[in-house]
Formats: sequence, C-alpha cells, structure tokens
Amino acid sequence: MTTPAMMYVHDWRAWQPGRRDMSQPRLSVAEKPAGSHVPAMLRRRLTGIGRALCDMLAELDANADCPLLYASRHGDGERTLEMLNTLAEEAPLSPARFGLSVHNAIPGVYSIGRGNRRTQQAIAASGDEFAALLVEAQGYLAQGEPTVIIAFAEQAIPARFAAHFTTPIDTAAVALRVSLTPAHNAWALTSRPLASDDTAEDSPQPSDLIDWLCGTRDELHCHRPRQAWSLVRAE
Amino acid sequence: MTSELEQELKHLIIDTLELEDVTPEDIDPDEPLFVEGLGLDSIDALELGLALQKRYGIKLESDSDETRHHFRNLRTLAALVEERRTA
Repeated sequence: MTTPAMMYVHDWRAWQPGRRDMSQPRLSVAEKPAGSHVPAMLRRRLTGIGRALCDMLAELDANADCPLLYASRHGDGERTLEMLNTLAEEAPLSPARFGLSVHNAIPGVYSIGRGNRRTQQAIAASGDEFAALLVEAQGYLAQGEPTVIIAFAEQAIPARFAAHFTTPIDTAAVALRVSLTPAHNAWALTSRPLASDDTAEDSPQPSDLIDWLCGTRDELHCHRPRQAWSLVRAE
Repeated sequence: MTSELEQELKHLIIDTLELEDVTPEDIDPDEPLFVEGLGLDSIDALELGLALQKRYGIKLESDSDETRHHFRNLRTLAALVEERRTA
C-alpha cells in the first residue's frame, strides 16, 4: 500500500566538512565554504556553517523569494560559551559577536545579503528539529505557499558539554526545497508510524539527513513522534 | 603619508572588524570609515570603541557628536589616540 506523500522534495543541498566525498554534486565537504553569494562586509561575521548555509540557500532559492524555516538545536555553542566565559570574567562582550548570538543570526544575514524579505523562522525543538521543520513546512504549504525552504544545521558540541551527550554531533548543514506539487525528479516524502521498539534512541541530526538524502539510509527514524520518513524517487 | 600610528590603527581595524578582504593599503586615511569609504556599520563602531578602550584606555560616549567626529576617518582617529591615550 502506498501512503500519500506529505510533500515533495524538489532539490537539496548539504555541507559536512571532512565527510568522505561520495561524488554527490549536492553535497559540499569543503573545510572553508566560500559564502560567495553574500557581500564580503556581511560574510565576514559568519563562521563556516553560516557561509555554507548561504551558499546552499542561494542555490536552492535563486530568486530569493521563498520562506525559510531554519532549525538548530544548539546554535553556535562555542561562541555562546565564549561569551558566557567573558561575562564570568566581567569583561565587555564583543558587540559583533553578541549581535550574531541570536538563534536567527544566519537566516538574518542571509536575508539581508540576498534581499529575501519573505517569512523566516528559527526553530529549536529539544532534539526534534526535523519533525518540527516538517510540521511548520506543512503549515505554510497548506496555506498556499507554493515552495518552502527548510534548513537544519548543527555544530559539534563544545568539549565542556560533550559528557552530557551519548552520541557526538557532527558539524553539518542540510537544506531542502519542498512543495506539495509532484515533479519529475522530485522525491515523495512519506511517513509511517513506528512501534516503540523501532524508535531511534537519538533524534536525526543533519548528518543523518545527509545519509538519508544520499540514499545510504532507507528510513529516517524519529525519536519522539515514533515516525519514520522515506523518500521515493518519482518514476 | 601614513604615520606609524595610522598604520597600527589600520591593522587594529582590519583585525578587530574581521575585514578579511581588506589590506592596510586599501584604507585611505582621508576617506570616511563608516557607511561610505570603507563601508563600516554601527556594530563596527561599537566594536572599534571597545578596541580603543582595550588597547589605548580611551573611553568614548557611544552616541555623541564628538565620537562621530573622531570616527570620521583614519586621521581623526589617529588624532584622538594621540591626544587621549593612557596605554
């Protein structure tokens, strides 16, 4: 039995530095992404992951007119910790670093750099970021938005907090252009309920999404809503 | 002609504001630093104020006409440091 598609993935881009290159043209493994789609005076304030996202978003949304839903559980943990340490020493904070410490910093710089004035959301969902992104995207699509970009980015946890995580988080970012309209070469995204035994111990990270998008993993198992998602290539 | 202090300030500006594509030669001492010329923004002004405080012990009012005058270009900035430095 075929489940109706939740939505269609029309294209995607991903970045994971140091990942073994599987000659996948949609995946960048560059240690230092260029960020060339954003003017240099804005780009200078972005770290590698911000630059990678700007490159990916510019390719997925060439006209810069799609709503952007961005999710990250932890944001920039290293810089946040650095600022907390500075505060603990009662030293003044860098205004530029403080200005970019908000959760929507990367989408904000991207939207200024590309002139995208559409809706943007920055989500943190205690580990269920991918599920939250899909729910939000369904909402926008159901309201009549023809195309939505969803992006999920995570960075390695600072060493000081690593002991609190059972599995390490790989620095990676992924962005998908989704729509309710099927198309040649689009993937149908379906979901199915899972028995609790099949539920993953950890929620999917951006690096897991990359495995799934590259086809090295069939299903992406979600931790809390007990669901699995699949991609089916259109005939 | 660029003085030693002006040269030092050029490096301070480039390093503090992470101007990755800018070289000291690109900064004309008589051109505006903010909006036009080098094209710095209001966050850069705060960041530069903090750097002047750390490096030279100079404290400035963040939004005064006097500060606007000091931040006009590299020469006015060098004159400020010359006059007010404690470090």
